[in-house]
Amino acid sequence: MKAIRVQHTGGPEVMELTEVAAPRPKPNEAVVKVSAAGVNSIDGQFRDGSLRTPLSFIPGQEGAGVVTEVGAQAKTVKIGDRVAWSGVLGSYAEYVVSPEEHLVPVPAAVTDEHAAAAMMHGLTAHYLVNDAHKLKAGETALVHAAAGGVGLLLVQMACAIGARVIGTASSEEKAKLAREAGADEVIIFTRQDFESEVKRLTGGKGVDVVYDGVGKATFEKNLNVMRLRGMLVLYGMSSGPVPPVDPAKLSEKGSLYMARTTLAHFTATREELLARTGALFAMIADGKLKLRIAKTYPLAEAPQAHRDMEARKIAGKMLLVP
Amino acid sequence: MKAIQVRQPGGPEAMELVDLPVPEPKANEAVVKLAASGVNFIDVYQREGRYKVPLPFVLGQEGAGAVTAVGADVKGLKAGDRVAYASILGSYAEYAAVPADKLVPVPSGVTDQQAAGAMLQGMTAHYLSHDAFPLQRGETALVHAAAGGVGLLLVQMAHNIGARVIATVSTGEKAKLAREAGADDVILYSQSDFEAETKRFMGGKGVDVVYDSVGKTTFEKGLNILRPRGMMVLFGGSSGAVPPFDLITLSTKGSLYVTRPTLAAYTATREELMARSGAVFGMLAAGKLKLRIEHTYPLAEVQRAHRELEARKTTGKLLLIP
Repeated sequence: MKAIRVQHTGGPEVMELTEVAAPRPKPNEAVVKVSAAGVNSIDGQFRDGSLRTPLSFIPGQEGAGVVTEVGAQAKTVKIGDRVAWSGVLGSYAEYVVSPEEHLVPVPAAVTDEHAAAAMMHGLTAHYLVNDAHKLKAGETALVHAAAGGVGLLLVQMACAIGARVIGTASSEEKAKLAREAGADEVIIFTRQDFESEVKRLTGGKGVDVVYDGVGKATFEKNLNVMRLRGMLVLYGMSSGPVPPVDPAKLSEKGSLYMARTTLAHFTATREELLARTGALFAMIADGKLKLRIAKTYPLAEAPQAHRDMEARKIAGKMLLVP
Repeated sequence: MKAIQVRQPGGPEAMELVDLPVPEPKANEAVVKLAASGVNFIDVYQREGRYKVPLPFVLGQEGAGAVTAVGADVKGLKAGDRVAYASILGSYAEYAAVPADKLVPVPSGVTDQQAAGAMLQGMTAHYLSHDAFPLQRGETALVHAAAGGVGLLLVQMAHNIGARVIATVSTGEKAKLAREAGADDVILYSQSDFEAETKRFMGGKGVDVVYDSVGKTTFEKGLNILRPRGMMVLFGGSSGAVPPFDLITLSTKGSLYVTRPTLAAYTATREELMARSGAVFGMLAAGKLKLRIEHTYPLAEVQRAHRELEARKTTGKLLLIP
């Protein structure tokens, strides 16, 4: 089969299209023919070595496709099932092998491309508004990078709940996307100070929750824009890691809460993974969640996809289509 | 009137019994004849100068008694009303002038001594167990310093909610008190490692919440015994301040939450102060919350009260009886 292989870490050019043997399932695994694989920033981090995995490896963490072979002990999937996954390394390939417990069924009303595009970003947005901080109607949320992959979905889900959403974005073009997703206010942080803007927009009261995947660049000001007893949910650090935090700051700034979350802890059991993907696919099927698939690339163009991702020019999801 | 004044910060001898004029109420104040005043560690810190207060000053942060005079703008209070308050300086005295919106009514089923003894520690235990992390029946809480002033009340409230309580204490005598308050399991941290013991009690599963007023010596291990998505409520630092910590520990240890609350943030509005004090008084009147008032001192013996508090020889609440 064709697959993208990384033999040594580095820039996008280290991803080479090669011919490798198709994988075979262990007893509790299944092999899936990949219809679409998501391109995520975590793939770039494995590729350039900032996240480590043994070499050589096939990148890619999420996708959707059809089961072609199952191991002897696999019980939850059978040949021909349409499935999707996230957190399974090796998705930039025609076939991927996965433990069966990571594979979730895709309903007929959801396409493979939508399913692949929704897994990491959609599940992340879902746990953020429903579990990391259970957002309620009437609350106000600040969503950083509101036109980003997670951001656009998070804004839609927060609006559907009935919360007021203040988004931040880097350009007028991205602000427009965030507004279309439902953001009530959008701050273009390259032109306006988000701290003073959020204070102004909330009449000095502050927001109930900040959803932040940016990290270092936004952390300190986040602490100044939350209401008394407000919650900061830090789910990523795209601008770099936040320096060590003095917990006394949380009391000084108003008995604040802070969480540093990862998707794995919100899909830890099979039950929770199925419930969360089920809810997500239902929103897509009902047209309540719009996925923005910005561009699809053939497998061979994985390096170009990473270049586009790292230039941050493309707003929306990028997919590889093997 | 007699009052305890500090002219220069220092040891217990810095507290002098002096004669001062009975205060007159400002327009928004009421004057309270104090029947009992609570003795707290914050009084020691202010006496020592660790917490700065303009000199000279009358010590004391909480008390209960009867209203003797009200200011011109005060509504809903009259001479003779039984009231209590916290977090207003000047209660080591026969009379104190207090902003009327800080006074709460004391019901007939609660004595002045109980009311004075419950304001700071009782409301702290209440916001911790009901709001900072609203404990549910069936959850498990780890309570550090469980035989301390807040600890004994927190253990009772957590137990009454139906939570399982694991308590840490320093001595066998204190372990007995924690058990009597309703702790299900007690760890003598001077003899065994609380991290290992908690893991053993929980069968490796992790507690839902850690209530920690100890700080420096317990914080890191506290993070190790939380379940995924569990909550660290750091509400004091009796062993020293927790140093700045790397947020990545929160994600690697299971998408954990941290908050550093203060009582002020949980009694910020008149409405909340009334609701919280009312709930605590209700528990006292119904016999569901037992205060241990075993040490009362006349005003003139305040130095002995501080010496005994600082030697950590006392258990339960210390009160001055002006």
